[in-house]
Amino acid sequence: MNVPLSALIWFPAIGALLLQLLGFVKKEKDIKSIAVLFTTVALGLNLAVLSKSNSGTYLFQAVESVSWIENLGIRYLVGYDGISFWLTVLTTLMTLIIVVATPDTTKNLRGFFGLVLLLETAMLGSFCALDLVLFFSFFELTLIPMFFLVSLWGGPNRNKAAAKFVVYTFAGSIFMLVGIVALAIQHQKVTGQLDFSIINIQTSVASGKFWANALQAQTFIFWALALGFMVKTPAFPFHSWIGDTYAESPTAGPILSSVMVKMGSYGFLRFCLPLFPEAVQSQAPVFMAIATIGILYGALVAIAQTDMRRMIAYSSLSHMGFVLLGIFSLSYKGMIGGSFQQFSHGITTGLLVILVGYLVEKHGTADMNAFGGLKAKMPLFAGLFLLGMLGSVGLPTTNGFIGEFLALMGAYETGARGLFGLSPGFAIASGLGVVLGAVYLFVMFQKVFYGPVKVTEGPDWQDIPVSKALPAFVLVFFVFVGGLYPNLFFGPMEASTQATRLMAISEATKRPSWKDKPEEVTIRVALEDPMQGQYIRAGSERLISSARLHGNVDEKREIR
Amino acid sequence: MSGVPLAAYLALGLFMFMTGVVGVVIRRSPIVIFMCIELMLNAVNLTFLAFARYQFSPMVAGNSFKEGQSAMAGQMMVIFVMAVAAAEVAVGLGIIMAIFRLRDNIDIDEMNLLKG
Amino acid sequence: MDNNAVWLIILLPVLGFLIQGLAGPSLQKRIGKKALGVLAVLPIAASFVLGLMLTQGLASQEHAEAVIVTGGSWINIMGLNIPFEWVVDPLSMTMVLIITGVGALIHLYSTAYMAEDKDFSRFFAYLNLFVAAMLVLVLGNNLPLLFIGWEGVGLCSYLLIGFWYTDTTNTKAANKAFIVNRVGDWSLMLGLFLIVVVISGANIPVEDNRYLSYDAMLPALTTALKANPAMATAIALLLFGGAAGKSAQFPLYVWLPDAMAGPTPVSALIHAATMVTSGVVLLNRMNIVFQLSPTASAIVCAVGAFTALFAAIIAFGQTDIKKVLAYSTVSQLGFMFIACGAGAYWAGMFHVTTHAFFKALLFLGAGAVIHAMSHEQDMRHYGKLAKYLPITFATMMIGTLAIAGVPGLSGYYSKEAILGSAIANSHAGQLSAISGWVGLGVAALTAMYMGRLAMLTFFGKEERWRKLPVADHHDHEDGHDDDHSHALTGDHKPKEVPVAMWLPLVVLALLSAGAGFILNQGKRFEHWLYPSGLSQLGELKHEVPNLEIYSYIAAGLGLFAGVLVYIGGLPAKEGLDETKWARWRRSAANQFGFDALLTNLFAEGGRDVAIGTSAFLEDQVIDGAVEGSASGTRNFGGWLQQIQTGAVRLYAMLMLLGGVGFVGYFLFVVNRGGK
Repeated sequence: MNVPLSALIWFPAIGALLLQLLGFVKKEKDIKSIAVLFTTVALGLNLAVLSKSNSGTYLFQAVESVSWIENLGIRYLVGYDGISFWLTVLTTLMTLIIVVATPDTTKNLRGFFGLVLLLETAMLGSFCALDLVLFFSFFELTLIPMFFLVSLWGGPNRNKAAAKFVVYTFAGSIFMLVGIVALAIQHQKVTGQLDFSIINIQTSVASGKFWANALQAQTFIFWALALGFMVKTPAFPFHSWIGDTYAESPTAGPILSSVMVKMGSYGFLRFCLPLFPEAVQSQAPVFMAIATIGILYGALVAIAQTDMRRMIAYSSLSHMGFVLLGIFSLSYKGMIGGSFQQFSHGITTGLLVILVGYLVEKHGTADMNAFGGLKAKMPLFAGLFLLGMLGSVGLPTTNGFIGEFLALMGAYETGARGLFGLSPGFAIASGLGVVLGAVYLFVMFQKVFYGPVKVTEGPDWQDIPVSKALPAFVLVFFVFVGGLYPNLFFGPMEASTQATRLMAISEATKRPSWKDKPEEVTIRVALEDPMQGQYIRAGSERLISSARLHGNVDEKREIR
Repeated sequence: MSGVPLAAYLALGLFMFMTGVVGVVIRRSPIVIFMCIELMLNAVNLTFLAFARYQFSPMVAGNSFKEGQSAMAGQMMVIFVMAVAAAEVAVGLGIIMAIFRLRDNIDIDEMNLLKG
Repeated sequence: MDNNAVWLIILLPVLGFLIQGLAGPSLQKRIGKKALGVLAVLPIAASFVLGLMLTQGLASQEHAEAVIVTGGSWINIMGLNIPFEWVVDPLSMTMVLIITGVGALIHLYSTAYMAEDKDFSRFFAYLNLFVAAMLVLVLGNNLPLLFIGWEGVGLCSYLLIGFWYTDTTNTKAANKAFIVNRVGDWSLMLGLFLIVVVISGANIPVEDNRYLSYDAMLPALTTALKANPAMATAIALLLFGGAAGKSAQFPLYVWLPDAMAGPTPVSALIHAATMVTSGVVLLNRMNIVFQLSPTASAIVCAVGAFTALFAAIIAFGQTDIKKVLAYSTVSQLGFMFIACGAGAYWAGMFHVTTHAFFKALLFLGAGAVIHAMSHEQDMRHYGKLAKYLPITFATMMIGTLAIAGVPGLSGYYSKEAILGSAIANSHAGQLSAISGWVGLGVAALTAMYMGRLAMLTFFGKEERWRKLPVADHHDHEDGHDDDHSHALTGDHKPKEVPVAMWLPLVVLALLSAGAGFILNQGKRFEHWLYPSGLSQLGELKHEVPNLEIYSYIAAGLGLFAGVLVYIGGLPAKEGLDETKWARWRRSAANQFGFDALLTNLFAEGGRDVAIGTSAFLEDQVIDGAVEGSASGTRNFGGWLQQIQTGAVRLYAMLMLLGGVGFVGYFLFVVNRGGK
């Protein structure tokens, strides 16, 4: 089945509209079923689109191009590649999870799901837009549903939180808009044509002509875009919206937010690295410092929180720091680790938020001091929470480990070699974040689940029913799939990540471009990495001299 | 007609306009203020007409600036202003009536609902 | 024997874990605790049998050659390939036998020890998972797999220390163990990165990009490090940092004494026999790095010696029988690191092996005593227990003599090997010999504090618990939730433990007695582990003139002193009233304030810093700037608002002025004519 990408992007929005029109469906349960149906179809469409993907190329796939505002060179231009591949899956998967996890008792369920579906379209659009104006439109479109989700369904301070979220993010995007316009004008200066398509702009950048006489301007425009992405990611010190947003949102809020923050890190990968190579190289130390501070600072502030949702919010700051650390290490391992971390952060944060949301739903508070000894009463719930926590602290065999490990390794590698003015100190300090990550999560777990039972009155203390735990089970499954078989995720990402990296670090004229001919593509990616790995035959058994295991260079014999 | 110079028309217009302005600023009765506004509008109208008579509009199409061939732009403007003034008075008086009914008082200084 | 059986060795405990974890509670209702216990022991025992068969295959070869069994790929990206691969070689198989052998015995013991616990299946689920993780640690053929096991055992240790989770002390100890270990893991991870950097920086090709697999990495690393000895020291120290965390070396030892909060079989298996020795395994695996760095080796030696001495002294200040054994473990681990620092990696492993036997025995014996004494752990309430617990007494005495270094028993041989090679070899420079002599002194101390433990527990003039108040009638049969529910009372009658508990004791006692002698015959153990010597240091010297005599004297003196002081029962200076204690003993009881210092500095201090950061930097400065800009805008608006008086005539006036100003300005500009 050949599904156009636009069908995937717009389907949820159409679903949102339909949901409002189907007025005769009155029962909450039916509304939820319809929403589940829509999001499932969206996930199905997503998989159908991606099933046609070619993992050997870094060129955009399923590209659709329609003229939009012709005079200004603005097009409706969408497509995906390895970088957006898993982010679209994360979007559709997490939206489905949210819809399933939302209790029937939520007021005005119809409107709620409508906004969630609208948000899904906006996020998918952001991850697939290849035209800067189109991207900006989708990017800003996410704010509207999120504003209403927080301000209509949120906690006691919802209005303030919603306003803070929208105004803060919007303030960041204004810089981004300026950057986008400047970029298009620069393109006009160079080629005589106003153009917002990143494919065209990047091709010009790759040839070295684009920034030939505008290195100063490049840094400014880079920072304009980067500011917008930093607010969204969030990167230290532009993160303070995240605490209020997590704490005051309905359960769906943080989960959506944990997908939405990927639009920031994705923005760095999609726009900043390919379009501003020199600026990225010269500013890499700044961003590594920001990432490192974010990791440590987020963890430190998380330790001091008593509200579990607020703690998860600051842990997000810490985890997204690893994403930035990996990306701006500009090493292949780091970038692929950072990209992977995007996905795993979405999964583990979603898992923890759903579980905390269950507590909030039952007891009306997320204050960890209000709980105690839950493990005795709710073993299944405690088990799920433990697994989510392990994913979050990055225990090996969970997805959190893979991302952090590779991001740190990449950061360490470029640092140790002194490339781009980086130092291994960033990776060494960031490693401390892994230790601190264990501190806040384990202390929280101890307070909430261990010790004597603290609250005896109040609503029922039953364990989470399996039906309610279903979304959590799915996410736990992904935690371990990611941790034990990460190659599944690396496969589609590799070519695009490597190409993006080469776009940023190669010298002008040697950069790959999104207009390369398909036959050049594989050569380019493989050529730059002479050490490309080969799979070892599974199930093989090799006999080696044991002296080799003690460091003796020795012949190796293979039997069987 | 030719005996009266353009400057005289403009001087009269200026006087009328200033009278209107001062009236708007110092008087407290909305009716008087309205009259003053009308005065200002008419001052403008007078200026329009004077210019229309004495000076050809550069907006006229074509290249000859012969007398009588203007597109009557000034005069048209006057008609337009008069129409707007009529509409304005209608609305304004309506508001004043409404306020009077509400408050039995139309002192302009009492009407400070617009303050932030 | 097909080497693919190594998969089964690992998967059987995993299977056990899944059975216990997923179906445990329902199975328990259906088939009872006894059968469930058997289901827990079986996979470990089966793994042990498989391990024996593999070992036999390995040992029957002329030159012991290693086999690498490769499964699928774990992380495979351009420039880095980490497969699932297992290495079957003498080192890994030695550990497999210890883990599964001692593990099976301790599982068996636990079926009786934990029989009254309501979370029976949860306990065995964790314990089976631990064995699986530990096997991954030793069998993995690359460092990331080792790291899986490394953190996996850390997790199981965390879960088991906090097994009785309703008690906050236990769970805090569990947190402490996990977090302190993470500090070590941080160092290990950096060492791992540095290895990749060093190899790829030297442009040495590594087959299949398996940068972290031992067989591919170690030869390349050797070449790279020979050119760059400073890097060898850096890598060695980073790896040692990881080892020090897991193996409880100074200053990261602080978690181990607290870890005694877990059930006693856990202390025996995890915190004595297996997990804590993984640091030694790591140093053996990566011995080439340490061979290339005398500096790092000297540091390892020094840290080992200091830890051995420090912990041995602290042991004198402990009255909790498990705490004494815990510090004894820390001290013995110090011995192992002395060996590794001196280059006698095999001797470290030798001591790992013998220590696994006698320390597991001592812990299980202590567990038996605790079990018999209503879970009272304070030795000051024991005394004359030999009469009541004959089997426990006999086996524990063998263990005590073995750890004290009495000739003929296993501890003597491994200790001798360590001290001999530390004194005779100069790989680590002067420090190695100094460490050796310090070790000899610590051996005497060991004999003395173990003598103290044995005397206080089994001998003496009185049964000291008789002095405790006699409780009202206490029903021992009621289903109690945790083991603290009934305290030791004056009318308590200790009973010998059931067979499932004393059988492992007997087996371990036999091993503690004989294993050292057998393994030491003709340097058998050394040749098994290092058939062709060390690649850089070559053959090691062991011979120190008259060392045996010094050792006899040390062991004899220590034991004699211990017996002499404690033969008369509990001295008044060590009684229940701690204010009468000697000052040194009181400070030893507090670890000389070291733990408190670390706690104050990092735990309390760290929390204060975190709260301060959150309250000041986050709320006031960063969020304050955001909120400030919002309220600033609001205030500015409020200020501007005052102009809006609502007075229409004022508005008109302002409008007029504005208009005049505007028009005036433009007239002015026009008049200048653009000049």
